[in-house]
Amino acid sequence: MPSQPAYFATTIPATTIPATTMSATTMSATTMAATALPLTSQPLPFPSLYGRAGFSGFPSPAQDYEPRTLDLNERLIKHPTHTFYLTATGDSMEGWGIFEGDLLVVDRSIPPRLGHILVAMVDEEVLIKRYALYQGTPHLCSAHPHYPPLPLEETNCQLWGVVRAVVHEYLP
Amino acid sequence: MIGLVDVNNFYVSCERVFNPALEGKPIGVMSNNDGCVIARSAEMKAMEIPMGTPSFQLEGLRRRGEIHLLSSNYELYGDMSARLAQLLRDSCPEVAPYSIDEMFIYLDGFNDAQCQTLGEVLRRRIRRYLGLPVCVGLAPTHTLAKLANHAAKKQSHYQGVCLLTANSPTTAALLKQLPVSDVWGVGRRIAERLAVSGIHTAWELRACDPKQLRKRFSVVLARTALELGGTPCLEMNALEQPRQRIMTSRSFGKATSLKADLHAALRRHAQRSAEKLRQQKSLTRAVLLFLTTNRHRKDQPQLSPSAMIPLTSPSDDTRIILEAVREGLEQMYRPGFKFVKAGVMLLDLVDAQQYQLSLLQSSTKAHPHLMNTIDTINKRMGQGTIRFGMTDAEAPWQLRCAHRSNRYTTCWDELMEAGTHPGAIAAARVKHEQQRLARAQHWVQSRV
Repeated sequence: MPSQPAYFATTIPATTIPATTMSATTMSATTMAATALPLTSQPLPFPSLYGRAGFSGFPSPAQDYEPRTLDLNERLIKHPTHTFYLTATGDSMEGWGIFEGDLLVVDRSIPPRLGHILVAMVDEEVLIKRYALYQGTPHLCSAHPHYPPLPLEETNCQLWGVVRAVVHEYLP
Repeated sequence: MIGLVDVNNFYVSCERVFNPALEGKPIGVMSNNDGCVIARSAEMKAMEIPMGTPSFQLEGLRRRGEIHLLSSNYELYGDMSARLAQLLRDSCPEVAPYSIDEMFIYLDGFNDAQCQTLGEVLRRRIRRYLGLPVCVGLAPTHTLAKLANHAAKKQSHYQGVCLLTANSPTTAALLKQLPVSDVWGVGRRIAERLAVSGIHTAWELRACDPKQLRKRFSVVLARTALELGGTPCLEMNALEQPRQRIMTSRSFGKATSLKADLHAALRRHAQRSAEKLRQQKSLTRAVLLFLTTNRHRKDQPQLSPSAMIPLTSPSDDTRIILEAVREGLEQMYRPGFKFVKAGVMLLDLVDAQQYQLSLLQSSTKAHPHLMNTIDTINKRMGQGTIRFGMTDAEAPWQLRCAHRSNRYTTCWDELMEAGTHPGAIAAARVKHEQQRLARAQHWVQSRV
């Protein structure tokens, strides 16, 4: 590790040294000791007198707790093989939090239930609608007064998938 | 039991998943470079447009809106194929992809009724989860599974799932009417020789003595006969084995006689080949380059030069291969010929792990990490993110793909759109177009 002394000169958080490299660190530290790097603002007295020179930091108290960074994919995508991404176009679903340009995470394996937001093919067009009861019968609804609910019975429509999540990005 | 899951009109079906307007219309997908039709929807087959029809012959029909022609969108097809394989792996003990749209599944330990049920479940599930229509053939051997799949596809009463046992009357009836040339693994040449011996149908081939077939024809044919009889003797491992040679070649979008263009095309193919080489952990000992002119243009001078450059030591380093490419092009290039295709082949491959170093040579790899890093980046960020030398997207050798659909599953900028109300997508397009025009006008005015 020829490039490390400079790095060692500053205080380093204990977690940056993985346990496996510890022995290597002490070995090269013996050679480093001759250059007498200031470890803190105060120099250590007679560093070479000790059997092991240098320092190895404190073991992280968290190292027994399996570190696992959170992964957004894991949370939003339950079935990667049959999940597809779509973009929303139009403003008539804003009432339900879907804005123009939003990313839709669509899972094709979820059986649709009342209250779900669906992607459906209606007359050769791909539409986002909410599957809900209106006057007691299932309808495909939008959140805009201009577009009245479509009764499921009388509409020529085919389910494409169920929207599991919507990603709305505030910054480009 | 062995199952064969095969997607109906795979390319067209992939396109339809993301473009519902294509449903029920005659659709054709064209080859690389928009040359000819390589995949047809059922409606196009009904119009009796044969496979391989050159695209220019269909230009009239296309312009009148009677048919739709699409450029091939291999990124989309590849992704859908990978999803299909994964979906099968989730529900079957073993899966072996045979081609982009055919997958063998191995159902050891299931009885016939369970296999039939699983076949039906898989078919429904693939249709719903991926939007792809498939047929499933189930049988004790690969060859019979292929036959069962064919029956499932052609005979509607099977409803997409056909299970054949070795000795059922249905199997016998199917084999009796199947010409021997249509049997999987029997080529036209062998079929002709079989006809001389009085073997015309698959049933007759099955009745032959495998030992005799082996003596008079080949061991492959003997195995095929056994397979037709229900004895499994084909192993699916051809895809797993490392290949002996690696080739990358493409036709150009437009013919070119410029050396720089040819060099750029060869360079790209060489990089792709080297990537495949490293993927299968081999080293190459020689690089073969070739160029061809358009042999249909009788009025132009013809030339198909090639050059073989042996490497001093086996390598998988892109830079060494590129050096060979430069040298090879220098050797074979002649000005004045309009070339339409270029290719790079890596030959005489050896296993990188087992190759023995020569006395004078210290290592096969000068920088083992460099190539690994490039491959990793290109895998994560998309092919060609890091490449050697500049490539010009407008160069004549670049692929022609004027009618390619969006890469819906592999490109963030090309996702499928869903409108929040009828007409939303169309309105957005109009708005977009208007903005683009306004920008263009603004640009022109600022110049005047």
